[in-house]
Amino acid sequence: MKTVLLPSRATPFVTFRFLFAAGSFDDPSGKEGLAALTGALLAEGGTQSLTYEQLLEALYPMAAGIGVHVDRDVTIVSGTVHRDHLTRYYGLIRDVLLTPRLDPKELARLRDDQRNAIVSGLRAVDDEALGMESLASLLYAGHPYGRPVEGTVSGIGALTREDVARFSSSRFTQDRLTLGLAGDLPDGFVERVAEDLRALPERGEARAEHGVSRRPRGFDTLVVTKPARAWAISMGHPLSITRSDDAFFPLFLANSYFGEHRTFNGVLMTKLRSDRGLNYGDYSYVEHFVQDGASTFALPNVARRQQSFSIWIRPVAPAHAHFAIRLAVRELRRLVSDGLTQEAFEETRAFLSSYSKLWVQSPARRLGYAMDGAFYGGKSLVEELADRLPAMTRDDVNATIRAHIDPESLSIAVVADPEGAAEFVARLAANDPSPVTYDSETKPDVLLEDRDVAIEPLAIDRSRCTIVSASSLFE
Amino acid sequence: MKGQAPPPATFPYPIVETVLDNGLLVVAVPMDSPGIAAHYVAVRTGSRNEVEPGLSGFAHFFEHMMFRGTPRFPPDRYNDVLKRLGADGNAFTTDDWTCYHIVAASDQLSTVMDLEADRFMNLSYGVEAFQKEAAAVLGEYNKNASVPFNALFEKLHDTAFTAHTYKHTTMGFLKDIEDMPNQYHHSLAFFARWYRADNAILVVAGDVRPEEVFALARRHYGAWRPGVAPFSTPVEPAQREEKSAHLSWPAPTLPLLAIAFHAPAFDAGGIEGHALDVLASACFAPTSPLHKELVLDRQWADWLAAGAEDRRDPGFFLVLARVKDAARVGDVRQAIERTLEQVAKEPLAPARLEQVRSRLRYGFLSGLLTPDQVAATVCHYAQLTGETASIERSFATLAKVGAGDVAAASARVFRPENRTVVTLAPASEGDAN
Repeated sequence: MKTVLLPSRATPFVTFRFLFAAGSFDDPSGKEGLAALTGALLAEGGTQSLTYEQLLEALYPMAAGIGVHVDRDVTIVSGTVHRDHLTRYYGLIRDVLLTPRLDPKELARLRDDQRNAIVSGLRAVDDEALGMESLASLLYAGHPYGRPVEGTVSGIGALTREDVARFSSSRFTQDRLTLGLAGDLPDGFVERVAEDLRALPERGEARAEHGVSRRPRGFDTLVVTKPARAWAISMGHPLSITRSDDAFFPLFLANSYFGEHRTFNGVLMTKLRSDRGLNYGDYSYVEHFVQDGASTFALPNVARRQQSFSIWIRPVAPAHAHFAIRLAVRELRRLVSDGLTQEAFEETRAFLSSYSKLWVQSPARRLGYAMDGAFYGGKSLVEELADRLPAMTRDDVNATIRAHIDPESLSIAVVADPEGAAEFVARLAANDPSPVTYDSETKPDVLLEDRDVAIEPLAIDRSRCTIVSASSLFE
Repeated sequence: MKGQAPPPATFPYPIVETVLDNGLLVVAVPMDSPGIAAHYVAVRTGSRNEVEPGLSGFAHFFEHMMFRGTPRFPPDRYNDVLKRLGADGNAFTTDDWTCYHIVAASDQLSTVMDLEADRFMNLSYGVEAFQKEAAAVLGEYNKNASVPFNALFEKLHDTAFTAHTYKHTTMGFLKDIEDMPNQYHHSLAFFARWYRADNAILVVAGDVRPEEVFALARRHYGAWRPGVAPFSTPVEPAQREEKSAHLSWPAPTLPLLAIAFHAPAFDAGGIEGHALDVLASACFAPTSPLHKELVLDRQWADWLAAGAEDRRDPGFFLVLARVKDAARVGDVRQAIERTLEQVAKEPLAPARLEQVRSRLRYGFLSGLLTPDQVAATVCHYAQLTGETASIERSFATLAKVGAGDVAAASARVFRPENRTVVTLAPASEGDAN
């Protein structure tokens, strides 16, 4: 068990974060979705002494909750409470971890919810999330990363209480646990929590090696069909580096320049949205990114042992989809061939030096970032950047881009309306020109550039294009 | 619980404020947040101000235009400065107000204010930029289009309101969004009409000293023109009979049920609105008997929520449920209506009231941990009423709410003729309710 502590008297709140190195990667074959159900049942399955309803009743006046978030490689159990309620709250979250009830009634409900999250959620009502999961299915075909954390419909159907109990006792163990505490911690509190956690099994099942995903040359395209007035696009390729590697940090800077999440800084945002009005936003990532609520920042504690490079093109008009893919690939090729100018490098470095400090404004987020640092064997990302950015050079960044980004090995996922999907694929594979017209005035230099974008070569092989109905995914 | 001593102040930080000569309310909230400050400007104009036909969604569209530059800071330069500061900046629009927010290092406050004040006074853009941004707004509508809740809300507002501008959502009607590229001249008029110092509030929270905030505000915002035009929204006539609508959805989503009642506008001293807040938590929170029945025991719904959002004009008390089986939509509706009838007849127990108050208070406090959260909260209350004192007044009112108030509010609001019901279900299950 590792421990990360951030005591502070500046806040009347205490934050708990219990990070287990266990996630949907650990789902047994045929039981896809087990980690997610186990996490959900910890959160909503009651404790030996309290049913879930009684647990809710106890938490209600504190306005506190016990949250569980399951990702591919980690599960985080967390909560924040006012010090007025610390003793009572701690007793509850402790019992959730140490003596879960795993109530069969709640299990049936949560298993149903989990199935619905795929059948009537992911497949039906969030095209952008569907695009991202479809991309993951291409990047990690045959690997546990290649399916949603919720699992598959058949896997979920096979889950039993015994599966959950076995998973919990073999994965939520001391050797897989990082304990994080922040805020107004009373004297002796940390020792008490650490002592209590010794009731967890000491060692669990040894964790399988991750197995770095292959990266075939060329383009793989998956078109997922469902009714859609605009088409969501995600593309990318696996990476061989994470925050554990020195090369990650120059690549992180390069990505900020190319597609910083929900800012107007990035090349993609400028080219697709600002200059052309093709959609609402365009960003890129060099690791798994989950937006924290309505903020622009990344949710901590979704760490992974393998990461990927990805581009997120928010829904575009169907007539613009081919063009938007071309424009993104063209800009990516330029990033690799030209790299950042010295000026762009310095601007981006200055930006990240300050911007990264905003990622840890609350004690809970500061703690989450510090715990991710422990996951990757280093400091928090904010501290790593503070240490590394001053000495970083433009050459470091450009060399890292060339070493790790390959614009000729991309997987492309498109969520498209059934009407038009086949024709779209035919045009993609034929490398047909994709000129666009605008309903609005456009700058002459942009129109000039459009002529080249419309014929930007994409060597897409029809045999590597697949069209599937959303209703058949993750079955 | 009536007649108790007033509770201790709820807001945990000092609020210090001044009004500039041009009418701009400037609020400083110093708090322990080493090196960080949040700069929020609330313009008290939102989609409720969109009274002209064909121009719904304009307040939100205009929020986008505010990033299209001034002579001093054209868009690239504006963004370069933000980038150099490493600031986190964005904006959002609601029914009632538009918010422009930046979080940055507190020692850069002067630069942030210079940058922000400039665009409120000197915004300038051409037709090309205007039309490109209109396309981006259509893109925003498109990205939301696969989410059934958005369609549900659109239908609900359109059905329930006849005269008031809450008839349309903040995004606006699709046909109006598609026409936005043609409304360049209206955008200029919109700016001149609403973006005035006396229609705005500046809130700075974080590692700051109030006197420094006020001095910087005077320097940078002092020349902002006052003179917002008098405005009143069309009055929504009392609804006289129940309304309903159904949406058929092309993808296999779970059915959604929305039951809405016209409810009073936010009033910091108004008992009825606060009684509805108490009722929403007592009757619909995960600990409520209804949640237990519908979500945990019968498992007819997988999600249930209710409440009246704070609005400047009379809005909704809204109950939402996601139903697991289309055949159960009617049963879920009955259970909700039974709950609402019951609360008018059987008063809430004093212990329950006390728990609700505790939850609302600690919930409020737990959302005030960063300068960003604090500035957003202060803006929210200040835009509603024009003053920050409404925060404490609202919590003082909440403390006075008794079981009789809850019963009275429910008897007045939850009348069948005041109700609008909208359902949404996959096309094949369209007539399920």
